[in-house]
Amino acid sequence: MNHNLFKNRSINKIPFKFNKIIKPLKILLTNNKAKAGFIILTGMIIFGILGQFFTPYNPNKYEFAGSMPPSYAHILGTTVYGQDVFSQLFYGAAPTLLVGFSVGIIGTFISIFVGISAGFASERLNSIVTGIINIFLIIPGVLLIMLFGSYFLGIHESLGYLPTILILVITGWAFGARTFRSITLSIAKRDFILSSMLIGESRLSIMFRQIIRAIFPVIISNFFFTAMYGTMGLTFVEYLGVGNLLQINWGTMLYWAINNEAYLTGLWWWILPPSFMISILMFSFILLNFGMDEIGNPSLRRFNRKKNKKGDINEFTEN
Amino acid sequence: MIPYKYIFKKSIAFLVVLYAAITLNFLLPRLIPGDPAEVVYLAIIKEGGGSVNPVYIHQLEAEYGISNAPMYTQYLQYLEDLLHGNLGISIAFFPEPVSSILSEALPWTLYLVITSIVISFFIGNRLGRYAGINRNTFRDLLIDLFSMFMASFPAFVLAFIMLDIFSVDSGIFPIGGAYSSSVNIGFNMPFIVSAIYHSFLPILTIILTSIGGWVLGMRNNIIPNVNSDFISFSENLGLQKEQINRIAYRNAILPNLTGFSMSIGLSVSGVIIEESIFSYPGVGLYMITAIDSLDYPLLQGIFLMVIIAVLVGNLVVDILYGFFDPRIRQEGE
Repeated sequence: MNHNLFKNRSINKIPFKFNKIIKPLKILLTNNKAKAGFIILTGMIIFGILGQFFTPYNPNKYEFAGSMPPSYAHILGTTVYGQDVFSQLFYGAAPTLLVGFSVGIIGTFISIFVGISAGFASERLNSIVTGIINIFLIIPGVLLIMLFGSYFLGIHESLGYLPTILILVITGWAFGARTFRSITLSIAKRDFILSSMLIGESRLSIMFRQIIRAIFPVIISNFFFTAMYGTMGLTFVEYLGVGNLLQINWGTMLYWAINNEAYLTGLWWWILPPSFMISILMFSFILLNFGMDEIGNPSLRRFNRKKNKKGDINEFTEN
Repeated sequence: MIPYKYIFKKSIAFLVVLYAAITLNFLLPRLIPGDPAEVVYLAIIKEGGGSVNPVYIHQLEAEYGISNAPMYTQYLQYLEDLLHGNLGISIAFFPEPVSSILSEALPWTLYLVITSIVISFFIGNRLGRYAGINRNTFRDLLIDLFSMFMASFPAFVLAFIMLDIFSVDSGIFPIGGAYSSSVNIGFNMPFIVSAIYHSFLPILTIILTSIGGWVLGMRNNIIPNVNSDFISFSENLGLQKEQINRIAYRNAILPNLTGFSMSIGLSVSGVIIEESIFSYPGVGLYMITAIDSLDYPLLQGIFLMVIIAVLVGNLVVDILYGFFDPRIRQEGE
């Protein structure tokens, strides 16, 4: 028997290559939607980081006349309480982003773990885990947030960032888990998994090396979806008034604007900027989510048929 | 042919989830540190003054685990109360039992949820079909951008803006309520017209915020179908363009149909938020009051009833799905 065959059992020891991380990022930039989303999101992150250091005024202080319309001194005017809206918007970007990203990362990790194990496990375990996933999918998230939040209010605590992230992860991981489970079910039937099993690779290693590699674009796409849920969820938590309303983020800004009826009194510069910033952030998440879908599923991509017109062979160039 | 086995399987799953939700509702107030039950107890005593019925206080103690009875006795008591439709007494609307508040509010919420989810599903799928068939055109881009923007704009801010423009400023639509006070409640024409008129703005807002997901999902489902072999085959057979599109559409709608039952929970979340903004007398309006006044019996009642409604909705949709998709029927047999 050829001993080299055993020396080169590379399946169990795939060397870590920096390239493998960089390559998906490069692919990300080949897709127009993903590229647009990536640029917007990068801009948002830079905005958020700068906002921690360079706010024009102290976002917490009530030091100006209330309800001033936008002017040179105050680009976005002031609130009823006399805070500078732009400073709040600038300063509140980082916490908003951080909540969105944390929910995205933690939620995706949980859903990868649960989804892939369910898809690759025995039939009985699969049906149990599917049942659990369905329970979490069915229960409306707002109801759980409201119950938890009001219990916390009852003991004179409001949901800080950590409890908020926790409850959003609890209500938000199941969507991804469902996707991963069904994809894993189909991938587990393919030949390369069978061959790995025949060689003797452990199930754990197949699950978390082979399958994760195969569904990587879906994972990234799901991360952006969950991050979107996290951002939206933060605004829900704050809107319901169960969050810590002294913190400054785009959710609490909306809460104060709405509770002072900024939409009725014509203070549009108070309610619209945070709404549009949230909307732009979510928009970038959606773009990235769809871009990754197109990368994972080539039939959705758009192609140019220029060469075809000249009578050449069907040669597609990606646009 | 009725897929008995499939229906049986779905019903079992329904009962399991229902039981889990009921138990969760029992456990949550007992798991949170600081004993929210104490808060309820004190609030009731304060609200009712000296006139609180001792029997009621005793029952409250049992319900909220203030009693020193062991956990399983409390649990059995809780289940028994539930079977009798006894959800406790609201604090914010003091002498009124939670069950009577819910029986007034829940029908309006269900009406909003069902109407908006069905309309949104149909319009969303048609728009997505149109975008997917005409893909990479300017119309497709417009529809995509519209859907993405609608899916990303905070739903409650949109509701406030709609309320401001169409109710407060121009007065085209009423500011709140589910029907005007001048009509008799019942199955008569003026009442139905008034109810539709009052619900128009909330339903429109919910449709606008929930349509994006259907459009984009449908578009991405139909594109691989349009490019697939059986479509080229149909083209070669000489079928009309419209017929071919219909075939692709039928195949592409299946994932969205599965998503339909899952989306009920999400839509309910949205509707609850919208109701509080449009002062629509559904569950959502009571929920905001309940949070403000820490009305735990009402909150728990809302939690339970809404989940039961969502579960029943899921079961119905799943069973209907079994009739639509022959593959699922077979799987169950």
